[in-house]
Amino acid sequence: MSELAIELFNVTKRFGPKVAVKSVSLQVRRGEVYGLIGPNGAGKTTTFSMMCGYLYPSEGTLQVMGVDPSTPGALKRRLGALPQDAVLPPGWEVGALLTYWAKLSGLEQPDSEARGALEKVGLTEAWSVQTQALSHGMAKRASMAQALMGRPPLVLLDEPTAGLDPRIAAQVRQVIKDMRGQQQTVVVSSHNLQELEELCDAAAILDKGALAKAGSMTELTGQGAEFRVQIAQGDVIIPELTAMPGVTAARMESPGVLLVRFEGQAHPPEQIISRVVGHLLQHGVLILGVSRGQRLEDRVLQLV
Amino acid sequence: MIWSAELRRAVRSGRVVVLLGLYSMFSALVLLVVGYATREMQAQVNAKLAEVGADAEASARAAEEIHKGMLGVLTSNDAAMMEALSQVPLVVLIVFKVTLFFLPAYVALMGFDQLSGEVGPRSIRFLTVRARRSSVLTGKFLAQATLLVGLVLVVDLAIFIYARMTNPDFSAAMLVLNLVKFWLAAVVFSLAYVALTALCSSLFRLPAVSLVFNFVLLFVFWLMDTIGRGVADTNPVRFVRYLSPSYYAGNLLHPQLSEFGASGAAYAAFALVFLLGAHGVLRARDL
Repeated sequence: MSELAIELFNVTKRFGPKVAVKSVSLQVRRGEVYGLIGPNGAGKTTTFSMMCGYLYPSEGTLQVMGVDPSTPGALKRRLGALPQDAVLPPGWEVGALLTYWAKLSGLEQPDSEARGALEKVGLTEAWSVQTQALSHGMAKRASMAQALMGRPPLVLLDEPTAGLDPRIAAQVRQVIKDMRGQQQTVVVSSHNLQELEELCDAAAILDKGALAKAGSMTELTGQGAEFRVQIAQGDVIIPELTAMPGVTAARMESPGVLLVRFEGQAHPPEQIISRVVGHLLQHGVLILGVSRGQRLEDRVLQLV
Repeated sequence: MIWSAELRRAVRSGRVVVLLGLYSMFSALVLLVVGYATREMQAQVNAKLAEVGADAEASARAAEEIHKGMLGVLTSNDAAMMEALSQVPLVVLIVFKVTLFFLPAYVALMGFDQLSGEVGPRSIRFLTVRARRSSVLTGKFLAQATLLVGLVLVVDLAIFIYARMTNPDFSAAMLVLNLVKFWLAAVVFSLAYVALTALCSSLFRLPAVSLVFNFVLLFVFWLMDTIGRGVADTNPVRFVRYLSPSYYAGNLLHPQLSEFGASGAAYAAFALVFLLGAHGVLRARDL
């Protein structure tokens, strides 16, 4: 069995003359929570839809759980998906609809699967409610519940917390964290970068349909290769810092903020940070704080 | 599974009831108009015969001739069909012919959004991760077909009961036999149109566009049949009628199995072509 849950190789998607996704290649390892990041129109939902087999790529190849997602029936019981903007079909009670879908997925206890999934998203009270009577947040949670039924090995969630109140959004984030604990692979597309930073092991940043950057969260935020020191008072002698073992660069990023880059693979961050801070203190520099890497939001803003 | 789920949903929805009501009202209207016209015509003929001093026997013969003449028109003067349908009240035949003309429109109204209504709002995405697209199509087609079979049976039954009430000569045995025959003919006829509606519905994201396109195709088929029948026997355009499903409706009540079978096979072929087309479209399209 491949170690990869998803593999995209030079995938392009065109809608008429418009190119929505341009030669994107990325890999998602089994068991990790992976983020799809990017501004509106970046191609996140199109990429997501190709992974689910809703859209066919114009060029390139995809493998999802070892199969081509466009193969009929190939993803049954392997994939749970929360598509963005997909409307729950009207004329159904939520419980009956989820039970029907659980049966269609071939789950052995469809009724209890449906109830369990609704419980996970905090929507048990909606069992007998008609789908067209659900509020936006409830419909989103019901849609999320259907993706969780049967504990599929791969779960794709497009904007899972958009439009949810903070308490429910936190509950949904907890569900995602729980899935990581159960060795399920989760792909999350979201605008909420703080949320993705909290949840994801790795991510791909898309911009205008192209892949701007992909990697582990540590790589993306530079946590293993840079840190910032907030200086309250004192003079920093840059050449002395750059001469220290492992430090590759040091500069004042802005008044009062020292940026230090180091060889993260050769030197553990705690060693370098301690050495630099010790050096600064010895030279009478007063420090307000130290932070590793960048916030994901800052990194994304740099890239797109 | 999709079949039964879609069927339950359709039965629960108001549309089936509305369509059944519309279809019944329309059939009842035709029934009343045709019944009234037939009675008036008969009364006028009887009055004319009375004026010239004809006896009751002559009136009966005249009525018989009118019946035969009308039957000839409705069956294209096919002797075997005229013989087989001679016991059926004329009003039933006329209503059957008229409703057959409008049945494709009812079918379109019933199922125009079966796929486009799910592709547009993307509800179909919840299904396609669980079932093959072909299974979704087949389930929805079967649900529509089942609804139609039931709807046609209810309406046909009502027509035959009316005919029995207004024609004492029309025996219960004849009623049952002909009800089955007429029902089967309508089912065979309409299944091809259910498949056509599935094809139209699979082509577009907007249900309204599917419906308009469906009506356009129905009109084109009607035009092909009408033009094909209207041109001279030497004109090659006459062959276009063979491409229209409505051309094959004439022999659906034929007593000879070969004639009925040929018509039935034509409709089965049309249904198959439309369904394969819908499958091809749904298989290839983005959802």
